[in-house]
Amino acid sequence: MDFPDNLFPTFFLPGPPGLSDSPGSYLAPAWSDYTQLLKPPQTQHPSVNPQHEASYVTKWGRWRSDTPGPLPFLRPGADPWDPDLTSRDLLFQGRLRHPFGAKATIDVIDQLNQFLRDHGDIAFGPLGKLLQENFNLGEPKKSRKGRTVMNAERLLQDLSGHQPKGCPWAHLSARQRRFSLLGGTVLGEEVEGLLGGLLHEELETRWKELLLDEASTGGALAWVPGAKPHVGQLVYPTGRAYNQLNFQKVKLSPTSEPQALGDPTRILLQGPVRQVVTRTVQEEALVAVRSDHHCAVWQVSRQGHPEPLQVLSTEKGATGISLSPHLPGELAVCSRSGAVCLWSPQDGLQQIHKDPETLVFKDPSSWRWADFTAHPRMLTVADRTGVRLTDVRGPSDCGELLFRVGAEASCQQGERILLAQYLGTSSPLSLSPTLHLICTQFSLYLLDERLPLVPMMKWTHSLMSPPLLAQLLPPPRPGAPLPLLLGGRGGHLRMLHLSGGSGCSPQLVAPPQSLPLLSDSLPGFPVLEPHGQQLLQDRLKAPLTGLTAVVPPSCPSPTMLLFQLSAAGDVFYQRLWLRPDTAAKNADSLQKSNSSADHADDPDLDSHDQTSATPSLDAAPDPGAVSWNPRAAACCRRWLKTLLRVPPALPSWTPPTFSQHYLRWLREEDRGKVREGLQAAMTEGRLLQQGDLGPLPPSDPPPAHEPFGPEDKLTERLEASWEGKGAIWWESQQGGSQVPRKRPSREKRRTQLSSSFSSVRTTSDFSDIDSRHETPSPLHRMSEASQSLELSQEPWARSVPRERRQTLRDYLAVLPSVDSGSCSTPQSQNPSSQTFLSSEPGRCSVPRSQNPTTRTLLSPHPGSSSALCSQNPNSQSLFSPDPGFSSVFHSQSSSIQSLPSRHTPSLAGSQPLKKKPRMGF
Amino acid sequence: MDAFSEELMRSVEDDDQVEASIGCGPEIHLPWLSQHLQNTVSHGHKGINFAQTTSICLNFIQEALLKHQWQRASEFLQHYFQALEDFNSQKRQVALQNIWKLGSAILYHHPKSNVETFNAFADRMKNIGVQNYLKISLQHALYLLHKGMVEEAYRNLNQAESWRYGEMSASQEKIIKLIQAYRGLLDYYTWSKKRTELSKFDMDGFATSAATQDMHSYFRQASVNLHEIIKIPGVWDPFVKSYVEMLEFYGDQDGARQVLTDYAYDNNFPSNPNAHIYLYKFLKKEKAPEDKLISVLKILHQIVPSHKIMLEFHMLLRKSKKEEHQKLGLEVLFAVLDFSGCTENITAWKYLAKYLKQIMMEKHLNWVQEGWSSRKDWWPTFHFSYYLAKKNWKENKILALEKAFTSGILLGKGKLSWGHLSGAPSSPDTYTSYLLKISVHSIPLLPPQRTR
Repeated sequence: MDFPDNLFPTFFLPGPPGLSDSPGSYLAPAWSDYTQLLKPPQTQHPSVNPQHEASYVTKWGRWRSDTPGPLPFLRPGADPWDPDLTSRDLLFQGRLRHPFGAKATIDVIDQLNQFLRDHGDIAFGPLGKLLQENFNLGEPKKSRKGRTVMNAERLLQDLSGHQPKGCPWAHLSARQRRFSLLGGTVLGEEVEGLLGGLLHEELETRWKELLLDEASTGGALAWVPGAKPHVGQLVYPTGRAYNQLNFQKVKLSPTSEPQALGDPTRILLQGPVRQVVTRTVQEEALVAVRSDHHCAVWQVSRQGHPEPLQVLSTEKGATGISLSPHLPGELAVCSRSGAVCLWSPQDGLQQIHKDPETLVFKDPSSWRWADFTAHPRMLTVADRTGVRLTDVRGPSDCGELLFRVGAEASCQQGERILLAQYLGTSSPLSLSPTLHLICTQFSLYLLDERLPLVPMMKWTHSLMSPPLLAQLLPPPRPGAPLPLLLGGRGGHLRMLHLSGGSGCSPQLVAPPQSLPLLSDSLPGFPVLEPHGQQLLQDRLKAPLTGLTAVVPPSCPSPTMLLFQLSAAGDVFYQRLWLRPDTAAKNADSLQKSNSSADHADDPDLDSHDQTSATPSLDAAPDPGAVSWNPRAAACCRRWLKTLLRVPPALPSWTPPTFSQHYLRWLREEDRGKVREGLQAAMTEGRLLQQGDLGPLPPSDPPPAHEPFGPEDKLTERLEASWEGKGAIWWESQQGGSQVPRKRPSREKRRTQLSSSFSSVRTTSDFSDIDSRHETPSPLHRMSEASQSLELSQEPWARSVPRERRQTLRDYLAVLPSVDSGSCSTPQSQNPSSQTFLSSEPGRCSVPRSQNPTTRTLLSPHPGSSSALCSQNPNSQSLFSPDPGFSSVFHSQSSSIQSLPSRHTPSLAGSQPLKKKPRMGF
Repeated sequence: MDAFSEELMRSVEDDDQVEASIGCGPEIHLPWLSQHLQNTVSHGHKGINFAQTTSICLNFIQEALLKHQWQRASEFLQHYFQALEDFNSQKRQVALQNIWKLGSAILYHHPKSNVETFNAFADRMKNIGVQNYLKISLQHALYLLHKGMVEEAYRNLNQAESWRYGEMSASQEKIIKLIQAYRGLLDYYTWSKKRTELSKFDMDGFATSAATQDMHSYFRQASVNLHEIIKIPGVWDPFVKSYVEMLEFYGDQDGARQVLTDYAYDNNFPSNPNAHIYLYKFLKKEKAPEDKLISVLKILHQIVPSHKIMLEFHMLLRKSKKEEHQKLGLEVLFAVLDFSGCTENITAWKYLAKYLKQIMMEKHLNWVQEGWSSRKDWWPTFHFSYYLAKKNWKENKILALEKAFTSGILLGKGKLSWGHLSGAPSSPDTYTSYLLKISVHSIPLLPPQRTR
């Protein structure tokens, strides 16, 4: 290979990062954006060999999108999605005290308040249980046995069934006041001590995750080319817990839109999919998937069927996985323990590097990353502080640094590596196969492994979210620069144009470009009523978790398809064309004439939206501006129609409809029933519903929800107008036809209300709805959705707001356990999964079956071949001990045994290599 | 609150300088933190302050730049000038740098901009802040150089070099050195121009001597500056090349060699492969002894085993009498073919096939064994797979044959009696067998026949 024989002059002065005075910070290409477009000075006189080159735009044109924003590609998933936490949920929302200063304070108090309000029974329940002996709650006789028993009967009577929970203005009797003054300290301390700590810990983790979510590094959307050039598969996770891996066949065409072929093949995993990597080496297509504690690899056959090869479990959690571009079936995996291993399903694991400390200086992050290099036996090992080249064959601690956060690359103080990616391809048209991309929160660096520590290129990306996704594409035309895509988690995309074969250093040849965001598509959707609009907006603003670009085969003019996966599980796409920029001059004059356009912007502009800017900005003259064509709008409309059919996310919390009061004063025979219902609800982790407790005593309906006479009319009217029958209601009122309405029970009313919500959503604004496809009743759908949820998630977590789930989990773990005998496992509570697993154990074990239809038949839901599902999340053995499965892997495991034994340390360092590969998450 | 919150509660000085620590230890600086804070704090807060408008304006400029809307960016930049009125001097400084950065980028790309506009802008910017004078001057000169305006660039550099303002900081001294070096490079341009002129035209004695004098003065000017910069650790390829060329011209071979040796072997310098190549080329031109050349390339082999000059190195080693060198010759070839960029290098395969044959004749089986032992577990898949056999045969038959021959030696069994060498018994020689299968007609060319 050729090495560029003329490099840009730079200083090389090692030192810590952030030396503002270090000459290294004047690293020539990093001064200004335009200097990166300059070529290194030649030794020939410039007039002999002038650098006057046609600019990129005049030579190659400009990448332009067909539509102003990405279009939905697949129908939205059946699961509702609630937006992630924002800083507003976590931080103390006070006004600025100092005009120049802002303070970030995690608002634990508010969260704790909310928790106590919402889950008071959980927070105070155990304590109540302990103190139960000492209180008389109205039982006829209580044995004293030298104990002080306080009579709380009067206290409860004072409460008289009201629940002043969370209501600061509730009336307090003197007795209640006294009790709360005396008992408050005890009750408060207990809860505060136990719960406060856990909650704070949890919030801290959430806040860190919000600022930098390292789990999704690398992205979870990938493309597997098929046997025919115009057919391939998109691999991505869906589901509320991102635990359903989909293989969606896609047909590409040079001119028209990409088409999804049929339903995706679904594989249900027992953990969230964080990263999906694909590679096709020597016609062998592999898909590697990283979950929190597992890594797995599938082989995709020529027909496009995924066949599982092996699963790896890591004790401390996996942080990165990559597939070798040179040798089929070789992977590099890293774990939080600081270990980096070479993994091949045939030869097992080989530890390359193990160091709990970071490479260059001490950093608390346990994030590690590994990728391949131009030499198949060399790996890069990265952490937040540096990247090292390590030889697989050599001792683990040797190898030289490829990059370090320091003055050589003129890094800033506090700069850390967020992504390290090998850019090499074997294509001769590509860049030199020795290049590595390194992204920090400020800049992007290109390094050549032959000249370590000196960046070949540096560009300040100014992304306002961590750049965790990157992809280098082949040149659109021979000799044209290569597009490099960079995606931030916030959805912002940048496209860089790189040139430089093996003989010259990589260089930007055109100013970088930004690409439309998902939220730029909002104008393409029809306008909805506020809550629908909010739903859509949230959906489009979901963080970007995957990015992949595909070049359709045999296109007359250069084009690419850019697929994006959002955290809501939506796959969007946009088609970019490299088109000659004929309008450049016209546009300029146009710009001038319109330059006086009003740029009055909303001063309270949400800073997250700055790239999407305001409508007035977007309306400003842009020579490349395209408008929404009817086909794109129809596509958006169809997608939205399906989206609105998805039942809304369950309310995060509904106050319980019963109180201790009614439990206590029940008759004996009822009490057993209530207890059963309560226990069943607890084991299933769902809300206790009225139905579980049997009918309420008719004499004592819940007073809080007793409707008042005059209000009832209002409610009726509201209900009617929700259903779009406001006018009819009004007419009926006017007509004086006072038909005595049967007052609906509370339960029923709520159902109606919710159904009216969804029915309104599905019908409003869409006159073109096809009425033949009647949507099933929302309730029915909801039960379906929850069933599928129960397969994947601890079901009780459903109703709890996300931010509190972990705390709740931790707290429940601390609680004195419920009667273990009566507590059944989630499996037995879940009929669908149970039948699936137990009724057909023999046939269940055919994940390698070549016939997709058998799988479809087997799976509980059509299209989901969840053969890998094993239900117990805590069980160490990941895979149900079916004889069929072990036979499937028999050949493989025996081949491992027959191989000469080699040193195979485990990934987590402490676990020995499992001879028999374990399947399933 | 505990330590974490306290850390977060530290007052924040600058909007875009918000520090937050994630956990303990050295702090990671996240540029998007300020947005999160602002989002939370300014929620429901009507007013908007100076700092916010400035940062919003900056965002708009960057957005316009990324959309290649130069005109709009320039309009926004006019509004951004308000940032220069900030009370905070540090912020003013940052604003200045931003204006230069964005302004120069806009003027570089704007369809209606020209060199004069750029010059005017650069001159104004230079004189606004003392600290930026040198940096802007240098970048301005680079811009002019890029436009092919060598004289203007030279004048600019000259002006910058003579600029004095109080005591210079360490970084300013370094940058002055860089400015001088660029001036030296421009002097060298003139020098080489004069040299070609001198060689082209026949001039009378007087004119010649005057021209030589003139040329020599350029050499002196350039050499002083270039000599200075290459003492500082860095990547100085064009400077070293031009300096050495001038030294060579004036017959200072020792000086040139010293410069190149220092550039290649000084440990404070980055391990730049070019430094070794320049030294090798120089020594080769000088007709240095082969041992010397080999020792230079040996180091390059350790740094960049994939360099194309390694094939030349192999030839040198092969010609060498020393057994140690001949052994290294095999390793060099193996190492070249290890790299993914070199897998289809037909010369390397040719050399390897030929050399293996030669080694086999000389009965140095242990050399092959040594080189092969670290490759036997992956070369068969990397080079000799069935897929590659098919591909190579389709694309380049000569390459396929060379590879088949090598594969036959390294993996083959039977007649060649390399059983003890073929350490990958599980993977039979699929490459050769495929070729054998498909190319019945070319059997006479195939390895067993050829090597016999």
